[in-house]
Amino acid sequence: MLRLSEAQTRSLLAQPETGMGYQEVEATLRDNRTEKGIVYNAELMFEGNESRNILKLASYPTVLKEARSAGDEIKSLRVLRVREGVKSLSTRDASGVVKKSAGPAKDAPVEKTKADEVFKRFSAYENDRRVAADKSLLPGSYATTEDDAKNVKTGKDAVSRYALPNPEPASYVFTIKPKKDTDIQRGVVEPANGQPGLGVEVIFTNGTTANTVTLPPDKIPD
Amino acid sequence: MRIKLAQRWIDLLTREPESGMGYQRVDVRFADGRELKDAIVFNAEDLEVPEGFANTDIEHVRLHAG
Repeated sequence: MLRLSEAQTRSLLAQPETGMGYQEVEATLRDNRTEKGIVYNAELMFEGNESRNILKLASYPTVLKEARSAGDEIKSLRVLRVREGVKSLSTRDASGVVKKSAGPAKDAPVEKTKADEVFKRFSAYENDRRVAADKSLLPGSYATTEDDAKNVKTGKDAVSRYALPNPEPASYVFTIKPKKDTDIQRGVVEPANGQPGLGVEVIFTNGTTANTVTLPPDKIPD
Repeated sequence: MRIKLAQRWIDLLTREPESGMGYQRVDVRFADGRELKDAIVFNAEDLEVPEGFANTDIEHVRLHAG
């Protein structure tokens, strides 16, 4: 975890973002080795394999203050272009507001759900193990917005839109009605697993409370 | 091919976050010393493995980092 210098920050500000508030970069080090990483707000860099969990545990200013100064360890920074196809997309949130958005939900900040928001989860399993016996969702479970789910008519559509690695049709649809102010991260599915992705994805960071998932799930055509 | 995980691994994985809707990316160490990196588990119970791993006991499963 490195705190970039003013000059390094200026260099990143002259380059495009990878997603909202972050850039995926390749750093050229003093010994000319290169290292990939992610930089937040053009100032705080995590190396490729470095955990970013600290951002969930401490405030951003605290993390930035505690980060080691990059000093002259880094000679230059270049923003990677891997997500250019996703970068220009926009998504529409539950209230109908179009948001310029980009990266996957796991890289997004934790927000709170609004009152009466509804989400859908597509699964190839009727006995989806992320749905607990008390009709809650377990922490770290994925879903999509009700609005985005309207694009999905079949289980195969879900595999494509959410770039699921399981080719079996995700034909079971769970409806989730979380309480207001439930922790959530929002993003866009990246192309993967030979699927185009680009649907809206959300993560219920700490799960949902009891009786927020409708059972049994609906069944749509495969 | 897919193998069904034992209940202890199912219990472990349901306590961990997903990697995407309905799946988790995991590293698996088998009893014969072989390892599978970045394998996929569906619904915390169905592990996708190459041929030849079907009857090998699993020694350890953890979420894939990265």
